[in-house]
Amino acid sequence: MQQLTIRLPPRWVNGSALEQTLRAGPAPFDGSASDVHFHVPSRCNLMTEAAVRLLSLLNQLDHATRRVIIDFEDNEDVLGYLNRIGFFEVLSPNVSVLPKRPTAAKVRRYRGRNPNLVEIQRIDRNHRDGDLPKRLTEAIGRACENRPDVHELEGAAWTILAELIDNVFAHSETQLDGFAALQVYPNGNCLKVAVSDSGLGLLKTLRPALQNQAPKLAALRDIELLVEVFKQGLSRHGADRGCGLKGCADKAIKFGAELDVRLPQERVLLVSGTAGYTPNRAFCYSGLPLIWGTHLCFTFKLD
Amino acid sequence: MTPMNQIPAVDLRLREFMDADEGWGREAGRLTFQRLMSFVEQHPGALVFRVSLGGVRRVDISFASETIVQLARRYRGEKGFCFIDLIDIDQRENFEAAAQRAKQPLLIWNRQGKPQVLGVEPSQGIADALKFALIKPKARAAEYAKSARNVSLTNASTKFKQLWEQGFLLRCEAASPSGGVEYVYFSAK
Repeated sequence: MQQLTIRLPPRWVNGSALEQTLRAGPAPFDGSASDVHFHVPSRCNLMTEAAVRLLSLLNQLDHATRRVIIDFEDNEDVLGYLNRIGFFEVLSPNVSVLPKRPTAAKVRRYRGRNPNLVEIQRIDRNHRDGDLPKRLTEAIGRACENRPDVHELEGAAWTILAELIDNVFAHSETQLDGFAALQVYPNGNCLKVAVSDSGLGLLKTLRPALQNQAPKLAALRDIELLVEVFKQGLSRHGADRGCGLKGCADKAIKFGAELDVRLPQERVLLVSGTAGYTPNRAFCYSGLPLIWGTHLCFTFKLD
Repeated sequence: MTPMNQIPAVDLRLREFMDADEGWGREAGRLTFQRLMSFVEQHPGALVFRVSLGGVRRVDISFASETIVQLARRYRGEKGFCFIDLIDIDQRENFEAAAQRAKQPLLIWNRQGKPQVLGVEPSQGIADALKFALIKPKARAAEYAKSARNVSLTNASTKFKQLWEQGFLLRCEAASPSGGVEYVYFSAK
């Protein structure tokens, strides 16, 4: 029985910092390890996209029969934050939480107190919750009510959530729940919209269809293909489809938003320029430790 | 072959065919499409459906694609669909994105009665003919050939036919002043 320990850093952890941590340490799915231990030290704060990715990873490890422990021994603050956003309600009950898993009653007590905060919402493939994008988007109205473009911002976030969550239902082919979250960071002047699933990953389902439909596109490297997914809209269901992800990107580009896409072993960070998302403004990381699924996060700047 | 004085049009309130005020996803779109199609089939005489979005809070691109855009594509050349109150920026962008993908033009009429084409830009060769047809209740190739510079009757007929084939205009047969049969073109309004 071998144990892996992954130590998060004692600072703010966004998608990039989480990746740095995972790359620096042992791969969580390392075949020889039966126990995977995550250590969250004091002063470590998880941003929305990092929280939902970590959540998916913990549930995946549990699903793959690893014994998983997440230890908050030195960090009651982040434990409280994760509790308020409903992290422990959707974390597999098999995952051990140290020093103690918070109770559901405490979660409900905190709910709705902070207008900038939205609970992580479960994307249950067996039960479609028709109000899901609306519930998540309502936080924008509360947190940004003084912005003249609040209606437009809400509309953009709603469309992005609606399309991405619909994709989880339609394409992800996963047995595990997906997750969606939205948070406004007033001090960081940004809004984050994150959707995460534990499926095969966007390109895994797209590539086989492209071999027949568009061999030229199928020949592209992953990073180039991913840019095309958001730039021209590609779908395994043919040329008539795929406008959803392109539409999400177009909305995000209007607000100069960054797009972070984590696939099972790759990650692409797209920074919007005058021509939208382009390969020369894409930062690609390959050979990453395995996390199943597609994990997307749009970061809107709120200047 | 009866010349029409008035184009038979019907109002279509999209909200009445939806389960909620938010149109989310392909599946909900397909369900709504079935209801919309039976409504259209219940009005065999109607050539134009004026779509109102009153009471619709939001639609995403997939829903837009599976409903009005799909309907316009399905009945292209036979029946036309136009928006009469598409003022919400977000909904407009989403219908635009869906129409673009389907290469299906859709008209929006504003309160002043000015049209805007969503989804597809007419090519340079036919843009002027479309402009001509949009400002008139009905247009004939002969009228356009007469008013435009360097456009023969054959050329005008070809342009109108292309506009009809590409879904910008509708048409019906009518008696021509010379005694034969000609097409009268009109937009969904």
